[in-house]
Amino acid sequence: MEAHTDRFKETARRELKNEMSQIFLSLLPPGFTILRQIGMSSFPDPVSAVDQARAIRAEVIERMPELLEEFEKNAVSKGATVLWARDAGEANNIILEIARKRSVTYVTKGKSMITEEIGLNEHLIKEGVDAFETDLGEVITQQLSLPPFHIVGPAINVPPEEISAVFLKKGIIKEPTTNPIELGKAVRVYLREKFRHLDMGIVGVNMAVAATGTIINVENEGNIRMTKSSPRTLVAVMSLEKVVPTMADAMHMVRILCRNCTGQKISSYVSMDTGPKKPGEIDGPEELFIVIVDNGRSEIFRDSKTREVLKCIRCGGCLNTCPVYSKIGGYPYGFAYSGPMGQVLNPLLLGIKETSDLYHACTLCGACKEICPAGVDHPSLLLIYRAREVSLKGKDGKALPFIEKTIATFVSLGMSRAWLWNLGAKIMRPVLHRLSHDGYIRNIPFGVQGWFTCRDLPAMPAKTFHEIWTERKHSPVTTSRKT
Amino acid sequence: MHAREEILGRMKSAQPGKALIRPSTQPLSELSLSREQMIQRFTAELSTQTGVVHQASTREEAVKILTEIAAAEGLRSVIATGYNIYGMGLRAFGEANHITVNTLDDLPDREALREIAFTADAGITFADFAIAETGTVGIIFNRHQPRLASIAPPVHIAIIPIEGLYPVYEGAIEKVFSNADDIPSQFSFITGPSATGDIQAVQFKGMHGPLKMIVIFIMGQG
Repeated sequence: MEAHTDRFKETARRELKNEMSQIFLSLLPPGFTILRQIGMSSFPDPVSAVDQARAIRAEVIERMPELLEEFEKNAVSKGATVLWARDAGEANNIILEIARKRSVTYVTKGKSMITEEIGLNEHLIKEGVDAFETDLGEVITQQLSLPPFHIVGPAINVPPEEISAVFLKKGIIKEPTTNPIELGKAVRVYLREKFRHLDMGIVGVNMAVAATGTIINVENEGNIRMTKSSPRTLVAVMSLEKVVPTMADAMHMVRILCRNCTGQKISSYVSMDTGPKKPGEIDGPEELFIVIVDNGRSEIFRDSKTREVLKCIRCGGCLNTCPVYSKIGGYPYGFAYSGPMGQVLNPLLLGIKETSDLYHACTLCGACKEICPAGVDHPSLLLIYRAREVSLKGKDGKALPFIEKTIATFVSLGMSRAWLWNLGAKIMRPVLHRLSHDGYIRNIPFGVQGWFTCRDLPAMPAKTFHEIWTERKHSPVTTSRKT
Repeated sequence: MHAREEILGRMKSAQPGKALIRPSTQPLSELSLSREQMIQRFTAELSTQTGVVHQASTREEAVKILTEIAAAEGLRSVIATGYNIYGMGLRAFGEANHITVNTLDDLPDREALREIAFTADAGITFADFAIAETGTVGIIFNRHQPRLASIAPPVHIAIIPIEGLYPVYEGAIEKVFSNADDIPSQFSFITGPSATGDIQAVQFKGMHGPLKMIVIFIMGQG
């Protein structure tokens, strides 16, 4: 998909004033977090269950090439065709060719983040193959050309009036309605005919099991099972990191994924396909293509500092716990992936220069890292991106302004020496005090104005904690004791 | 160079990571459930997803339950995976209740199956497994078990012999995947009807798949 990561600030400002977005942001992330906690509490020991999931993902990213080869070997031995694509363009063309060779006029699609990343729908439609998203939320975002608001509920914030209007225009409904269930049922009826006469389906992959060559899809709506069952030709698109070692690992990850994603203990459907249909079977695909997409990931893998991004299982748990996402929603991140997941993924997929606002829009509070069932250390990654940005600027001859560099040098000197820090605080207090209003510093007239475009600094109090502590030691406060 | 070799080559040129040890885990508490408790758990979990669970002590009782369901749901035509699912005699059931029963024996090809599956009032299928952990039904799809019968019609009725009841997913997975030469083309876990909450977080059942799910356990002759 077309990236708009450069519009982070303006989109965030707009979304902060968007009433509908704000209503859902006040309900959804805390709601999902509570459901997640209830779901996780069904494990005899939730902490060790998360540790186990993190260990599985850690093993995957250490053994990835070997696991992918094993997966390929087993999938091929079961009759699947495995195709590799270096980048978005290659993946899109492989899939278009499959459709063209079979004179397919349309495909239905299961929700798949990798196909959003590579812009598969746009490519197919441009080349004359109609692509129908079938997940209800994705149907709406496709019709309205919106990026996903939330990875689990991509259109959950869209007002029913807007959905009704676009459905009327596209002939999905005959009479306007703002009833969510009526709107949903209309999509059911609309897509049933598409499923019934389908020649080719496209799905993503939640897990690819190396030991058996099995692809696993996790869903609630039944659109993926329809897409996997009805047509003669099935294309499953996966990124490199979807591979897991064994079916036992996959089962643990299914438990973890569902609980962290929607809070469910399991989704309505978990379908596990090993090869195309066998002789004598009446439905299921006659041919199964598995497209393994790199799109920058082998490079990410080679860099031992960034490799751990590939642990991510796209559950969305980090979105729900992030104080920034919970205020601005998914749109500002400008790409298929939003929240902390997008902040660590998008810079590597799209470039450090193009995504600067993403890795700066973070206080490094660490809530994402704490909740992450895959063991991604988001804050450390964001710091790496920030450091890389600075060194990139140096190479471009656009080094940091002298004053910013100087401030950074002084702060880092001071932060590693307590006496220097205390001295600095004493010196800076009167300066900062003059710049503060109502307890906040909203800008300073030198050097680092950029920093203040989306941040305020609390004013320095009259005394530091150390000073108060020292004073107290000299004049202890008497506490009344009741005996 | 081919994409495959290029991608794998780049990854293999990376520094090898450290060897990892898996932490120990506590066994799932469901593993200690008795058969009675497993049935209770299965029923409670599937009920929270609006699924309905029946127990039939004999095949005859199962047919009686099916007849009651057919009347309550107003079924006129069903797709069944066979006339003789677990020896239930569905041809006679259809004739007695004026219900058109189509099975694989009547369907020559994919087109015919799709025609029937997308217009039937219900799909009646055998199911290989029931998992107590989450009230989940496990179905092996093969030449006796078409995929569309359990996903296209608005009602899915699954007949499960009680011997297929396991405490956790792994029980079924080991059976289905342990013999590498005999892995089915598809194995699915089904937990309740299809569902969504994608518009304004309003939850409802019956998005693309069934609106209702009914399980009939056959408890055996004992």
